[in-house]
Amino acid sequence: MNRNYEQEHDDDIDALLRQSFDGPVADAGFCDRVMQQLPPRRRRSTWPLAAGVLAGAVLCSLSVFTSPLWRAAWQGWLVGQWSTSALVMLSTMAAMSLLALGWTLAEADDR
Amino acid sequence: MADSAAEARIDQSLVARVLLGDDRRAFEQLVRRHQGMVRAQLCRLLHGDQAAADDLAQETFLLAWRKLDQFRSEARFSTWLHRIAYACFLQACRTKSWAARHAQDDAMEHLPEPAPVMDLQLDLARAMRHLSTAEQTVLLHCVQLGMSHDEAAYVLAMPLGTVKTHATRGKAKLKTWLSAWKQAASEETVP
Repeated sequence: MNRNYEQEHDDDIDALLRQSFDGPVADAGFCDRVMQQLPPRRRRSTWPLAAGVLAGAVLCSLSVFTSPLWRAAWQGWLVGQWSTSALVMLSTMAAMSLLALGWTLAEADDR
Repeated sequence: MADSAAEARIDQSLVARVLLGDDRRAFEQLVRRHQGMVRAQLCRLLHGDQAAADDLAQETFLLAWRKLDQFRSEARFSTWLHRIAYACFLQACRTKSWAARHAQDDAMEHLPEPAPVMDLQLDLARAMRHLSTAEQTVLLHCVQLGMSHDEAAYVLAMPLGTVKTHATRGKAKLKTWLSAWKQAASEETVP
């Protein structure tokens, strides 16, 4: 009973507050003024991303191709042997690809 | 409920048109759809200063235009706009002279009143002014602008529990202050 009274009183206050609110303001040229002020949309330039990817790829290739691990893996691969170096290189590449895939999926999900 | 879901879908498709095709007409429709409530929100926050509210509303829509690619659909577009508007309001309070002008208005409010006006709406307005700023702001968003507690928490960047507490406390205070009206009304109905 008391709870019902409280709820009813709460609704009264809500109704009173809503009554005292004038509601949305009429446009009266506001929208036109905003549209006149609108600057052209800035497109995000893609060159920093492309340059970063290229620089990363070049540095990665330089560091990998000059390492003895890569040479040993490549030679083992050529003669058809699954050497430890080849396995390490393959697992590293697989792990990197999975990481990139996970990142891409997470980004796509956000959008 | 279904209406608000449909409205949200329309907003999302307009946002997509702006982002994919640089469509200014789609943004114009978004402005037309939401300007009324954003300006009403700001006008209330600025205690009825419509000119200042319009300036801030314009700033809000220009910011929304610039940052539209950051809209992630985690909230409705209207809620996102109200959040930007509230952030603009807080920024204006920190930097502009509005706060000083408002302080002057407050001083005027403390002058003795000419005569007691027996009007429930006036009493409500006066009672609202005696609530804390946080309680006023939460009641404006939750009751008058019709937002859920979650949405108000998102707009005001407040924890959900704090929003609920301010809403409950604010209503309880209003109930106490306006209880004379309730009694008078019930006495009138009982012969």
